[in-house]
Amino acid sequence: MTTIQGFERENGKVGTRNYVLIIPLDDLSNAAALGVESLVYGTRAIPHPYGRLQFGSDLELLFKTLSGMGRNPNVAAAVVIGIEDNWTQKVADRIAETGKPVEAISIEGKGDLKTIEKAARTAKSMVQAASEKKRREFDISSLVISTKCGESDTTSGLASNPTVGVLYDRLVEEGATLLLGETSELTGAEHYIANKMATPQLREKFMKIFNDYTQEITRHGADLLGSQPTQGNIKGGLSTIEEKALGNVQKAGKSKFMDVLDYAEEPTKKGLNYMNTSSAAAECVTLFAAAGAVVHIFTTGQGNIIGNPIVPVIKISANPKTVSTMSEHIDLDVSGLLRLEYDLNEAANRLYNLLVSTASGRLTANEILRHFEFVPTKLYISA
Amino acid sequence: MKKFLVHTKSDYVGVAVDDVREGETVEGVYMDDGSTVKITSINQIPLGHKIALKDIKRGEKVIEYGEPIGVATQDIKMGSHVHIHNIKSLRWGNLS
Repeated sequence: MTTIQGFERENGKVGTRNYVLIIPLDDLSNAAALGVESLVYGTRAIPHPYGRLQFGSDLELLFKTLSGMGRNPNVAAAVVIGIEDNWTQKVADRIAETGKPVEAISIEGKGDLKTIEKAARTAKSMVQAASEKKRREFDISSLVISTKCGESDTTSGLASNPTVGVLYDRLVEEGATLLLGETSELTGAEHYIANKMATPQLREKFMKIFNDYTQEITRHGADLLGSQPTQGNIKGGLSTIEEKALGNVQKAGKSKFMDVLDYAEEPTKKGLNYMNTSSAAAECVTLFAAAGAVVHIFTTGQGNIIGNPIVPVIKISANPKTVSTMSEHIDLDVSGLLRLEYDLNEAANRLYNLLVSTASGRLTANEILRHFEFVPTKLYISA
Repeated sequence: MKKFLVHTKSDYVGVAVDDVREGETVEGVYMDDGSTVKITSINQIPLGHKIALKDIKRGEKVIEYGEPIGVATQDIKMGSHVHIHNIKSLRWGNLS
């Protein structure tokens, strides 16, 4: 049985990091949140451009994304800052359900400077309390892990994605919770994912998500040629969305999907879960983070450099040019697979060992290089 | 060194794992059964790009991973570089 060194949260969930998160509810509160981050060691702010005059399911997704970041087990405590108190309190309340310390602070009636002072004092106490939490041993099955590929090329489908597939199969066997998404990048391979659903009901739920997405594109009178594959994909040798999708789904491994989740929905089933997500890297990883992923595994061909503010993103590439020209961004080089120096099981073993050490505190390239992209998904226009 | 890999025995294309020169005869490996094949390239093929393992007729589906990845928009000779200049998606790109 493999173990990792993690942080236990009040609700029993296990984190791999120990941040105090400063969450701006809206665009107007970014300045105060960044002010607190610059004053207080150990805090991390997640500025974003939204939160005003959103409505309906789009507003609900923003609440779910912001509170999900706070709920994530990699976060020890959170401060939510908003221009007015109602929505701010709403997000804070959802974080408080996990039992972790959280405080809501609104700017109206006091201004940025008094807000920053109040939030900074709170955050300082939270950081001190968080610093007393010690890592201890947990079974690897306690982890929620997500995966996505970006700036893919044919080496992704040949080597790095199948490596993740072998790793995912092993983690399913060991009882971990695994997430996979990228609805748009399944076009041409959607049948492959549909056939891996554990029940006919899940298959139907998945196909509805896929078909709704396709209809949304045609509703705009649009076509994704020109966006999918991307210019980077094409440079790397991918010619069509079908080819990209068939490479993408290699990450899923051989296991069945036990559940189909909506955007940022927290998984309740162990094993492989499908989540509806955009295929844009930062949006997708943000949705996984908001659903509670504590480590992310990101495969790249041409060299995507994305990170996340609270989830370590392990970068793996099999492209020999990328691992040499962009080495500072790549955590695991599996280009030896293309030279037939070792097989997929060996590559997956190396990734497994890196996953264990990363979950136990080893910093990833994105964390060291400060790639902390936080991009909430917006479903439609604001009021 | 093997210069290209092929996902399945039924594929029409291999993927170069190193830059291939025009006129170079290169060996590839089928990843499903480990068997090998030799092809003479008639174009320059950059690392990661595809080489035709057989003649493909215009209008014929192009197979990789044992699945259609698109359709040939012109006749493609064995050994050619296969990319967006001679194949297109069956799913998107039909608006114009």
